[in-house]
Amino acid sequence: MTTLEFLYNGFLVSLQPENLLYAFIGVLIGTAVGVLPGIGPMSGVALLIPIMSTLTSGASPESAAASSIILLAGVYYGAMYGGSTTSILLNTPGESSSVITTLDGYQLAKQGKAGSALSIAAIGSFVAGIISLIALVLLAKPLSDLAIKFGPAEYFSLMILGLCAVSGLAGKSITKALMMTVFGLLLATIGIDSVSGIARFTFDMPILYQGLEFLTIAVGLFALGEVFKTILEKETNTGHVAKVGRIIPSKKDLKDSSAPIIRSSLLGFFIGILPGAGATLASFFSYIMEKKISKNRAQFGKGAIEGVAAPESANNAASGGAMIPMLTLGVPGSGTTAILMGALIMYNVQPGPLLFNDHPQVAWGLIASMFIGNLMLLILNMPLVKIFAKIIETPPKYLTPLIIAISIFGVYAVQVNTFDLFLLLGFGIAGYFLAKNDFPLAPLVLGLVLGPMIENNFRRALTTSNGDYGIFLTHPISLTFLVIAALWLIIPILLKLRGKKVIVNEEG
Amino acid sequence: MNRSFDRWASILFVLVGVFFIFASRNLSETAYGSGVGPNIFPFGLGVLLVIFSVRLFYETFQYKDDTTQGIKLDWKNFSIILIITILYICLLEWFGYVLCTFLFLVIAFQIMERGKWLLTILIAGLFSGGVYYVYVYLLKGTLPSFPLF
Repeated sequence: MTTLEFLYNGFLVSLQPENLLYAFIGVLIGTAVGVLPGIGPMSGVALLIPIMSTLTSGASPESAAASSIILLAGVYYGAMYGGSTTSILLNTPGESSSVITTLDGYQLAKQGKAGSALSIAAIGSFVAGIISLIALVLLAKPLSDLAIKFGPAEYFSLMILGLCAVSGLAGKSITKALMMTVFGLLLATIGIDSVSGIARFTFDMPILYQGLEFLTIAVGLFALGEVFKTILEKETNTGHVAKVGRIIPSKKDLKDSSAPIIRSSLLGFFIGILPGAGATLASFFSYIMEKKISKNRAQFGKGAIEGVAAPESANNAASGGAMIPMLTLGVPGSGTTAILMGALIMYNVQPGPLLFNDHPQVAWGLIASMFIGNLMLLILNMPLVKIFAKIIETPPKYLTPLIIAISIFGVYAVQVNTFDLFLLLGFGIAGYFLAKNDFPLAPLVLGLVLGPMIENNFRRALTTSNGDYGIFLTHPISLTFLVIAALWLIIPILLKLRGKKVIVNEEG
Repeated sequence: MNRSFDRWASILFVLVGVFFIFASRNLSETAYGSGVGPNIFPFGLGVLLVIFSVRLFYETFQYKDDTTQGIKLDWKNFSIILIITILYICLLEWFGYVLCTFLFLVIAFQIMERGKWLLTILIAGLFSGGVYYVYVYLLKGTLPSFPLF
């Protein structure tokens, strides 16, 4: 079958009524998550995994996986749309990838042009979403065909590269990021070893035999962690919500922003593919690039429409690009895609080169649903932006206890024991204190998801080489990956030593 | 950066690393058909964790401590919410989902902000009853039902 036929089949999956509904709910929740400052895409997705697994419990595993990933991915890219709303109206970004949008967005809102800024952001996000999806369709098959030739040694090195890239760019301290990565990998070793069948670090407690559940840890670290932050730090929206005003952008605004949208979409897409560099970095770089290229450079920071169009397109394109390494190689490059991958693994669907052959329904269904979801978001965001602006005023009084209740319900519904609930609470507290002290959480989740696969490939490679560690260095592709991985860690350190400021990706 | 937190964290992670190093020594060193046992990977990771933690401990002497933060943390509300969450978890299987969730939400809403009792009870009731109804009756899931006695 050709790519187009696969895509056609994908559309058949995503146009099923229940999947259309899931895509719609996904992007709707995603927009709300993007708008609400207290909750980011990672906690939104984590919170919805258990809910989806209960909702899809009646369906066959394959279609349940397809439905879930359609909704969860919808939350992810929906949040990229929603994030711009608070940046523009309130001068507080809804999530970190919209930080840069506040620079010009809020200025525009002050001039009474909030409506056109919002709609340009939505149009930019839509164009970027479609561009990155087309690139995803074109790249998916060749990349997975290439990756299928990898042996265990190559795979091990590739995943090490992924971990190093995320650690190198996450947070302020590389040491802390590496500690979190190793800690995540260690947590993944608890339970029955899949190669030898030996129970490791379980202390004869039957509940630990299946290992620590990924879902419990992700919901605890992100959703509960953010709830505790809201309670402890008493976050309140004191800012004044600007008036939305006229929504239809003027011809001049459209003309001014069309070129930046296209440029930033392409840039954002390629930054998104790189492991470790996510939507936040993409929005940052595209803003800098536009500021250099643009004719009315002086307007930047004072309310240039390009300053809204560029970062908003870039962050959406990056979120599409970030799907590529996760789907085709099985190596997620960011915290959110790691959580999405964990969700797929829960359904026994292993992302990676075989995904497109073994589960075309899931892979192509997801890609097709993203086309539909982006269209829905454009329609949702243009006329309904005033309603979403109202969500900002949701009092945290009701939101925070409800998030705790939803987390507990979700984890209990899937795991049906109170041990996991205590684990959830423990990771929630740990998540808050670790994140507060600049220990990034994304590498921990990444280590947890990739741990079993890294270990399997590591041991398979060593078994074929009779315990000779040289196998990782003698295979040229594997060596290349390891060298890049090392450079990824060393270069930022060297730059710091030379006194340069290194931009880090705080989103994860 | 908070120096004392970083020091305690690095000590804690050293202990975690040491624990995994020693615990993995009890594991088999070989697996059937392979000289590479289930012990190597956790052992190596434990060593790495110790190395990075020691490195962090060393780093804490290098940077300036800026513990003085503008935000005052609301420990009182946090500890009450934490305690009622623990109670909620402990009592969930005894008193049933609906009752526990309802009580938890009512108390938590009131701790976050006093007043508006009617709205509080309405939201808490709708959430606890709604989730139970949808999950148990429509989706045929299992939740601890009403009080066991």
